[in-house]
Amino acid sequence: MSLHNRIAVFRAERGISRRQLAEAVEVNNQTIGYLERGDYKPSLELALKIARHFGVAVEMLFSLDRFEPIAMTLRRAGEDE
Amino acid sequence: MNPNHRSILSRLDDAVRWTGFPARVAKKTAVCWTGFPARITNKMSDTPSLDRKHQPLRWIPILPIAVSCALFIFSLTWPPALDGVSPGAIISIVTAFWGSIVGMAPIIYISGPLGKPSWKDDEREAALRKDSFLFCLWPLAALNCLGQPILLILSHWQNWQFEHSASVVSLSLMLNAALLGCLPTLYASWKLGRLPKE
Repeated sequence: MSLHNRIAVFRAERGISRRQLAEAVEVNNQTIGYLERGDYKPSLELALKIARHFGVAVEMLFSLDRFEPIAMTLRRAGEDE
Repeated sequence: MNPNHRSILSRLDDAVRWTGFPARVAKKTAVCWTGFPARITNKMSDTPSLDRKHQPLRWIPILPIAVSCALFIFSLTWPPALDGVSPGAIISIVTAFWGSIVGMAPIIYISGPLGKPSWKDDEREAALRKDSFLFCLWPLAALNCLGQPILLILSHWQNWQFEHSASVVSLSLMLNAALLGCLPTLYASWKLGRLPKE
């Protein structure tokens, strides 16, 4: 089963590099690259560390189902307003 | 001195830089002069390497495997011309090839399949290292379990002489060493594709 993640989106939003995130969660920056690409599934500990670094729940970052596109989320938010 | 006419020792010094250890030692020494040796010791022992990248070796490890395979097959075919060659000459030739394989070991094997020591691994690298050795286990076990009875039958069937048997045994050992050293490195190098630059 594949594990989807939004690490790259959160990283871009906060303007931090792979290296900075890797240093914060104490892994090699290649590991962050492979995580973002979906080539590596993190341990629960690493997933929680990354979520804590971004200050969000772990479900916001990782999901067993595909995340909906950001455009869709924004459109729905616009309709709600 | 002309850089093209350097001694073998100076070329070996350059080769050691590939391992990354001289840079690490230089960095450690420089920081120790600032008066914080304890801090750097903790940093080196407790945290995974953030700056030491896994440098994949995708092609070099194929060379020792190919040479070992070729020599092993050659020893099995054993041309009749070799019957007259003295055992000393055969031992010298085998030792020379052994030496060339062992000479390549520091590049491929000394730092492990990821090209760096295991105590610097993070969780992904530790898992990759374990997978590399596990991947290497089954072909080696299968090769040895199947190969030994086959060699026994062949030696009896073809009535091998001592020189022939000795060269087959020593070259099968060399093939085993090459596979054990190089297969994990190949697996770790090919398992994951290259990452795009950020």
